[in-house]
Amino acid sequence: MNEYRQKIWTSRLLLIVALGLAVIYLFPLYWMFVTSLKTGSDVFATPPALWPNVPKWSTYAEVWQSKNMARYMGNSLYIATGTMAITAILGTGCAYVLARYRNMWIDIGLFLVLMLQVLPASLMVTPLFVGFNQIGLLELPRTAVILALSAKTMPFFIILVRATFMSVPHELEEAALVDGNSRLGAFCNIVLPLARNGILVSAILIFMQAFGEFVYSKSMIQTSELQPASVGLNSFMGPNTNEWNKIMAFAMMYVMPILGIFILLQRRIVAGLTSGALK
Amino acid sequence: MRALFSSLRDGKGFDISLIAIAMVFLILFSGAPLVYNAIMSFQEVDIFNLGTFIRPWVGLDNYRSLFADPSTLPIFWNTVVFVFSSIAGQFIVGFGLALFFTLKFPGAAYLRGLFLVSWVMPGLVVGAIWNWILSGDFGILNHFLKSVGFISENIFWRSDINYSLWAVIIANIWLGTAFNMILLSVGLAAIPRDVYEAAELDGATAIQRFRTITLPMMRSTIGAVVSLGLIFTLQQFDLFAAITSGGPANSSNVAQYKAWEMSFREYDFARGATISVLMIVVVMIASIIYVRSTKQEVRG
Repeated sequence: MNEYRQKIWTSRLLLIVALGLAVIYLFPLYWMFVTSLKTGSDVFATPPALWPNVPKWSTYAEVWQSKNMARYMGNSLYIATGTMAITAILGTGCAYVLARYRNMWIDIGLFLVLMLQVLPASLMVTPLFVGFNQIGLLELPRTAVILALSAKTMPFFIILVRATFMSVPHELEEAALVDGNSRLGAFCNIVLPLARNGILVSAILIFMQAFGEFVYSKSMIQTSELQPASVGLNSFMGPNTNEWNKIMAFAMMYVMPILGIFILLQRRIVAGLTSGALK
Repeated sequence: MRALFSSLRDGKGFDISLIAIAMVFLILFSGAPLVYNAIMSFQEVDIFNLGTFIRPWVGLDNYRSLFADPSTLPIFWNTVVFVFSSIAGQFIVGFGLALFFTLKFPGAAYLRGLFLVSWVMPGLVVGAIWNWILSGDFGILNHFLKSVGFISENIFWRSDINYSLWAVIIANIWLGTAFNMILLSVGLAAIPRDVYEAAELDGATAIQRFRTITLPMMRSTIGAVVSLGLIFTLQQFDLFAAITSGGPANSSNVAQYKAWEMSFREYDFARGATISVLMIVVVMIASIIYVRSTKQEVRG
């Protein structure tokens, strides 16, 4: 009995320490939220208050209006959706083939994919910009960003989804083929439904990544009507800004969709990420 | 025609077309720019000949003038400092947290997963938050450090040339710690419990167990985590854009930000391409190390 009680207390103590660590680690996010609720003068109070006397929620509506956030968010959504669609449609088939066979060509393909995964966007943007400019793609800047970004996210997606396909038993596909399905039929009716969750989580990860994208949009989209929220936030934060409550409100509204998805799918996202990067 | 169609639906053509579509796309939008980048680094590219394909060939001139520029070497040195400090910080904090979360208590898995929220946040937003936290006069970090007595004067993290690079490093450590922790947790979970129990029976202390069991068994995970850290750190751009913009006086500038600045601030695309080529070579080497350390899994 005594030992049992001791165990309970140890695990309670550990839980408190863990909560403390989480509070410290997640403090920056809390600070973003609190700052967004302060008035312009509260922001510069010393000592800084951990919670404002009177939370000022109206900053949100004000910033949404004055910064035209609906437009920024629309553009972010457009870029993220387009990128996710291209990446998922092209990447899924490629991941399937890379998971199904084992030979030298597959190894070469995998190696190429892994190599392309690591290319930093800020280094690739120079040739992409010059090349897109020459073929006239910069006339459609959001499409240009979607194409460039898809090429950046696709290798990561392929690696993640390949891991999912590897866990689908090969026998099930064989059985479908014996039953008279074509390869296409077996792929669509058996393999894809079984890998559905992995594909979905990976696609959502790509969506979140594309929703926060900055380098390509900043470099390729000149007109502010077409810029996503990341570029909007960047231009809002001029060098000597003092509107931190408004900037943090902007940031809060920007990350809301991502935070929502993360909280809903936390477990799956964590599992998906770890299976892709290493086992 | 029919044979072709049927092969696409039900034969080798099915696999080949699935993989070919993705590969063609990747070659067009990733492979070709890579080659084009290398070509541009040997050309004279300015705002006037930007639209044409025929440009004067200058050989290694871009590389020579890059290294003749006195600001280049400090920027490469900053890159080294940024990469090593970020990786060390992320790894040490991440490993500590991963070890802590191997202990059994209710909600451990959930709380651990919560940390990963830092990793899915847009880099610009993380940069904006840290920009504000690190602000000189009104930043909460200075306030905290003063109230516990670490410093007596405010540190101007973003505008003091001695601290500006560290401002970005602090933010980057925060950003990457959770990812390190999650991957290291996976590695720790894979070590069989009974090895520890046997060692404990033999009288090994906690430190001995860590040194002789945990570290050796984690070798391939650590290799993968560190090389992934290198890859992500070399990709970091948003934090620089949001916190210091590489300033003041290039004191917090790193190669990947400088490459962008050259092309999109000074419109010197050839110079931008030159720095890019050098950095891409570094990243490629890092990724070969990564691929090798996760070989079992990748082939798996």
